Amino acid sequence: MAPSDNRKENCDAGQVEQCLSAMRNQDLKALEELYRRTSASVFGYALSVLKNVQDAEDVMHDLYVLVWSAVWKYSPDGKPMAWIITITRNLCLQKLREYQKRSDIPEEDWETYISGNQNMSAEDKLILAECLRTLSDEERQIVVLHAVAGFKHREIARLLEAPLSTILSRYNRALKKLQKWMEESNEDKRS
Amino acid sequence: MKIREADETAKIRQAYANAVPDICDVILSDCKIEKGQVIMMEETRKKKSTVKYVLAAAACLLLVFGGGFGLSTYQFNHRVASTVSLEVNPSLQIMVNGKDRVLEVKALNQDGEIVIGDMDFSGSDINVAVNALIGSMLRNGYLNELANSILISVDNEDPEKGAALQGKLTEEVNKVLESGGLPGAVLSQTLTEKSTLQKEADQYGITPGKAQLIEQILESKQGHTFEELAPLSINELNLLITTTEAEMTKVSAMGNASDKAYIGEQKAKQIAFGHAGISEADIAFYEVDMDLEKGVMVYEIEFYCGGYEYEYDIDALAGTIVKNKKEIDENHHHSEVNAGNSSGTGNKGNAGNSSGTGNKGNAGNSSGTGNNANTENSGNTSVSITLDQAKEIALNHAGQTADAVYFKKAKQDYDDGLLIYEIEFIAGSTEYEYEINAQTGGIVKNKTEAADTPHSGNTGNNGNAGNTSASITLDQAKEIALTHAGQTADAVWFEKAEQDYDDGILVYELEFAAKGTEYEYEIDAQTGAIREYKWDDD
Repeated sequence: MAPSDNRKENCDAGQVEQCLSAMRNQDLKALEELYRRTSASVFGYALSVLKNVQDAEDVMHDLYVLVWSAVWKYSPDGKPMAWIITITRNLCLQKLREYQKRSDIPEEDWETYISGNQNMSAEDKLILAECLRTLSDEERQIVVLHAVAGFKHREIARLLEAPLSTILSRYNRALKKLQKWMEESNEDKRS
Repeated sequence: MKIREADETAKIRQAYANAVPDICDVILSDCKIEKGQVIMMEETRKKKSTVKYVLAAAACLLLVFGGGFGLSTYQFNHRVASTVSLEVNPSLQIMVNGKDRVLEVKALNQDGEIVIGDMDFSGSDINVAVNALIGSMLRNGYLNELANSILISVDNEDPEKGAALQGKLTEEVNKVLESGGLPGAVLSQTLTEKSTLQKEADQYGITPGKAQLIEQILESKQGHTFEELAPLSINELNLLITTTEAEMTKVSAMGNASDKAYIGEQKAKQIAFGHAGISEADIAFYEVDMDLEKGVMVYEIEFYCGGYEYEYDIDALAGTIVKNKKEIDENHHHSEVNAGNSSGTGNKGNAGNSSGTGNKGNAGNSSGTGNNANTENSGNTSVSITLDQAKEIALNHAGQTADAVYFKKAKQDYDDGLLIYEIEFIAGSTEYEYEINAQTGGIVKNKTEAADTPHSGNTGNNGNAGNTSASITLDQAKEIALTHAGQTADAVWFEKAEQDYDDGILVYELEFAAKGTEYEYEIDAQTGAIREYKWDDD
């Protein structure tokens, strides 16, 4: 059975915008709601860029604290996710710059994290590991933005500052890789 | 089998959704509602630069035609002579010239922008501007019955002029509030030592005026930190000032801060008395204060009844019991049991009591030095002596050397909110127990007894010497405590369960923790009565 499609309602621009506007009145419940709706996208994107769970978690934490304190800076334009992911991206880039300065890039720790995560089904674990292992950084970011955060390819192109055609071809290549792997694993199961 | 794109993306989405670590609670607690936060607004008005240009041109003309006199008049009219800030939650800054005419009104946060709206005050008298701004705050509901405090801070190079302006504005604000039917509470001050204030203000995202107010509170009221007070609203800060009658040299206060947003003293008392199972009529003396405990406004209630001292912290908004403590009132106790002891001993480890001396009156203390000048507050959590230093202090006191003793225990712990080192060692046939204040190195508690044969070395010395054998078992004592705490043995974790002497009485000292709460009990080993207990929510 295919998992239910909750992307549309989770990252629905109208709903997310409602959270943000309630947060202007210091409504902590709205922040909780925003977290529930958007944390998969924020964490997924941060992990795509950083490949370190601890750092992705830190970025996610900082992101929501920042959004809470600077929510009045968001002017409703129907694209709240673009605003949130842009801040996430900046936080990630800041982290990467810190790495470079100290010239110690933290080890990828996702494998142990995934294996110990009890919320994830066996299939979830395999898919996430495959995303992190076989996809290039750009491919993974595009897949997460499209599949998890519900971005249109055009929006991804704008965010990542790349031509639409590049984004499209990378997305398709990434999807093929994963598709191939999924089919193989399906056959493995059957045989 | 071909997999469709939609299925594929759905699976990826699912995998990521399940992979997210749940840190929502951490985030929520880090996003506490920060009422006093000011965020410097970006300058967006282009108009300003044009004005500057025109003014500059005018100044040039004056220079050419008007000469020196014209210039100084110009300067007098356009130079910022005073800066006034008004704070409720909206924060506003008003720049005025030497004639108290408004040059500019700036919003320091979003609420401030709402208050200003599209009003333009340039050139108007400061009184007129303040009048309109306070009116707008009332209309927009920023000043109301629940929060009626306002802080006026004046910054003028000339302290005399500043003070005059401060007085004038306080009067004006009071007038507006009165005509609005709201008894206001106005705090006003003139800023001094601006560079330090500015640093603190920048660090915490508040105005220098609020920074000075907080400094003033810290000066007169111990046990708080700047960090703790910075997120409070002006009304909450004012409440702290009012209820503790803090004396402040730089801030003058008019009117009383509203506590209508809270449950009120009366209700808080009811909750505490109800919990203790005591009626108000039986209570000889009580004290209610408002205070800040771990960032939460609480009513602190202290009362004495039937030989016990009770202490409650009641959440001022929710009415829940944050902390409660029941202890033998030692003053009372000593006067009854040990009439000869007239030296005023304080209550044991009263965390909130900044003047309390920690005489525990420990009868098992054969060396007789149970007194200690413990004046620490519960907020002090930093360590300034090391474990090794603490060991040395204990050894010196015991007249022992490190190689002559065997250390049973040497660790850091909290006792009544005080960071201490617990040190236990055996030398020969004697067992020593010390508690050393981790900040001052003072000996909080010491005790010696014969090793291996516990308590046999104790000679009771205050009239209760008969009680040297236990008639209830440790397990029974545990059960008594658990029943009282409404807990079961499998839901708690025992941190301590041992026999001890307190005031010459053989007791069981029990400490256990359940989800979120720490319990401490002292059970009379003869009668099974609960002598002391304490619950602490973490």
